[in-house]
Amino acid sequence: MNIRQILLVLKREYLTRVKSKAFILTTILIPLGMAAFIGIMVAITVWDSEPEHTIAIVDQTGALYPRLVQLDENRYDNASSVPVDTLRSQVMREQLDGYIVFKEENIESDKNAELVYGGSGGFQLLNSLRDDVREVIRQERLERANVSEEVKKIYESRPGLESRRLTEEGKETDDNIGMLTGLGMAMGILIFGIVTGYGGLLTRSVIEEKTSRIIEIVTSSVKPIELLCGKIIGVGALAVTQVAIWIAAGFGLTTVASPVAAMFMQSQSESMKAAGEASGAVDSALFEIPAIAPSLIVLFFVFLIFGFLIYSTMFAAIGSAADSETDTQQFMFPVMVPIFIAYLLLFRIMEAPDTSMAVISSLIPFFSPILMVTRVAITDVPIWQTALSIVLMAGTFWGMLWLSAKIYSVGILNYGKSASFKELVKWIRQ
Amino acid sequence: MAIINLQEVNKSFGKTEAVKNVSFEVHKGRIFGLLGPNGAGKTTCIRMINHILIPDSGTITINGQKVSPETQKMIGYMPEERGLYKKMKVGEQLLYLAQLKGLTRAEAKKAVNYWLQRFEAADWYNKEIGELSKGMSQKIQFIATVAHDPDIYIFDEPFSGLDPINSEMLKEIVIELRDKGKTVLFSTHRMEQVEQMCDEICLFNNGRAVLKGDLREIKSSFGKNTVNIEFQGDPSFLDSLEDVRINNRSTNFAEIRILNGQGMQGILETAMKHAEIYKFERVEPSLNEIFISTVGEDNINPKDLN
Repeated sequence: MNIRQILLVLKREYLTRVKSKAFILTTILIPLGMAAFIGIMVAITVWDSEPEHTIAIVDQTGALYPRLVQLDENRYDNASSVPVDTLRSQVMREQLDGYIVFKEENIESDKNAELVYGGSGGFQLLNSLRDDVREVIRQERLERANVSEEVKKIYESRPGLESRRLTEEGKETDDNIGMLTGLGMAMGILIFGIVTGYGGLLTRSVIEEKTSRIIEIVTSSVKPIELLCGKIIGVGALAVTQVAIWIAAGFGLTTVASPVAAMFMQSQSESMKAAGEASGAVDSALFEIPAIAPSLIVLFFVFLIFGFLIYSTMFAAIGSAADSETDTQQFMFPVMVPIFIAYLLLFRIMEAPDTSMAVISSLIPFFSPILMVTRVAITDVPIWQTALSIVLMAGTFWGMLWLSAKIYSVGILNYGKSASFKELVKWIRQ
Repeated sequence: MAIINLQEVNKSFGKTEAVKNVSFEVHKGRIFGLLGPNGAGKTTCIRMINHILIPDSGTITINGQKVSPETQKMIGYMPEERGLYKKMKVGEQLLYLAQLKGLTRAEAKKAVNYWLQRFEAADWYNKEIGELSKGMSQKIQFIATVAHDPDIYIFDEPFSGLDPINSEMLKEIVIELRDKGKTVLFSTHRMEQVEQMCDEICLFNNGRAVLKGDLREIKSSFGKNTVNIEFQGDPSFLDSLEDVRINNRSTNFAEIRILNGQGMQGILETAMKHAEIYKFERVEPSLNEIFISTVGEDNINPKDLN
């Protein structure tokens, strides 16, 4: 291989694209889009309110309805004097969302009360009804058991668990597992997005050279493997540039905005603490922005680059085998399967990053770029695992490069129709 | 010494034998025509000379050197399927392609500027190829082929798709290059287009080189056994002629190849009875006719020749 030729290809691939409107626009618009998306999601959870559901209560005990009204004034309707048949027909005509008949046995024995409802409201309604009913029956049982105020308080209290992380240097820090999990997931998803997005760009770049027929002029000067390497590195450098801009901008923004944010967060967290103590919610320290270790950023780029390299060889081979962009679909499937499996495993690993499934799957080179980096962010991954995954990825990259170069060097001169999978196998064997 | 030399070259794609045991030589300072119908193996041959494809067996040397990335730089190649990066600017694109051929950036700049000026195209430097007309981009394509000043020029079907002005310009430049001592190889299936230009030819059919050598010698070896006739009147008398083959037939022209060595006066007499004769000329056969009589009428599809 001739390095000079690779560099020329790389430079063209990188420079023509880094100056393009598309690159500048996506660099600006993707973070804005993400921010808007998160904003919308937050707005939805804040502003979205369930429509009022009305549940009729037939309280034969006389004790439960008042307690329910204390929990929710609007939801529960006293229907103790209404015949159950009337309630049934009201539910059937959708004038009523549902009704519950409380009998003495629900308090005295473990027999559960029954809700009859039309099916609207989903899990959220059911869960909230179940909580309310459990609460009032428990209160009433305590009342009847005639226990002391002390015991009642014990039942009302919600002891929590505070967590602190002990680092290797022996320092105890506020645990920020929530933020780290978010960070790890964000890194995994970012790598997933970059690999598929820039992989697609590479495919289009290969097809463009084929359909514009420039490829024959280029191959009369450059070996296919040199062209392939130059293109992969050029597009990869473009991806790294974009991510680096985002990260730098992110750090810049947090440095500028942190004093403001700190003030804001303080008043927020005070009110949250007040609320948190009452409900026993998650410790707010879990969501403080952690100082991101530089080594994590380095590793992130290592996994980003290897992820791109491994998958890009396949994306380039796809481009060379297809005759037009629409023809790439049939080949995309086998490439997208592993990366989507990794993407789906990400959500499982995020919750339990140290299971044997997590360890094994994050060592599989096709999954490592997404899964290992997430684990490194969330948990303490032994050095040997990180190192082994890097070695495996490097080996896989060479193997994939060899395979894809075989397809690529035949495919780029194969005009007229897209190759079949059978032909691809033949090209590899040649 | 031959500047391009093919020795017993074979190339197959799967079960298709595209090039079968082909040998020929191209000599320095000459215009060499690779002729034959579509699908005869010309492009495969050219790609092997350009080291884009590797022969299954046989040897190809350029200037005595086995084909390699080094010999690629001695060649300026214009493929049949022409194209450039549509979204790239003319100047950058030409610089890139010239640098790939081994020029430094400064050398490339000088060469590109020279050629753009020569074609009065200097103000296209910052335009994208997509903005240019077809004729303009054909000129850019040509500059991409010649900018690195190679000794050998290979044009695959150079006249297909060229507008008449660029076609004429290309012919002039090819002859100018030859006069400068450069070597030109081109392929075409439109044989009549290149008869006046070629010094040497190699005829291809079904992957084999069926006839090769100096064009003048080949022609004279066939003798003056052909008649070009121009006339006004009913052309149906042509059908009544026996032991002849008629090529290039149109309403008032025909190229008649005499088979069997029969006299030409008989044809003239028949013709005079049916039509007014403007011209009756005894000539050497056309390349088309030479090709047909070499491979045999039954072995070709006449459509491939036009």
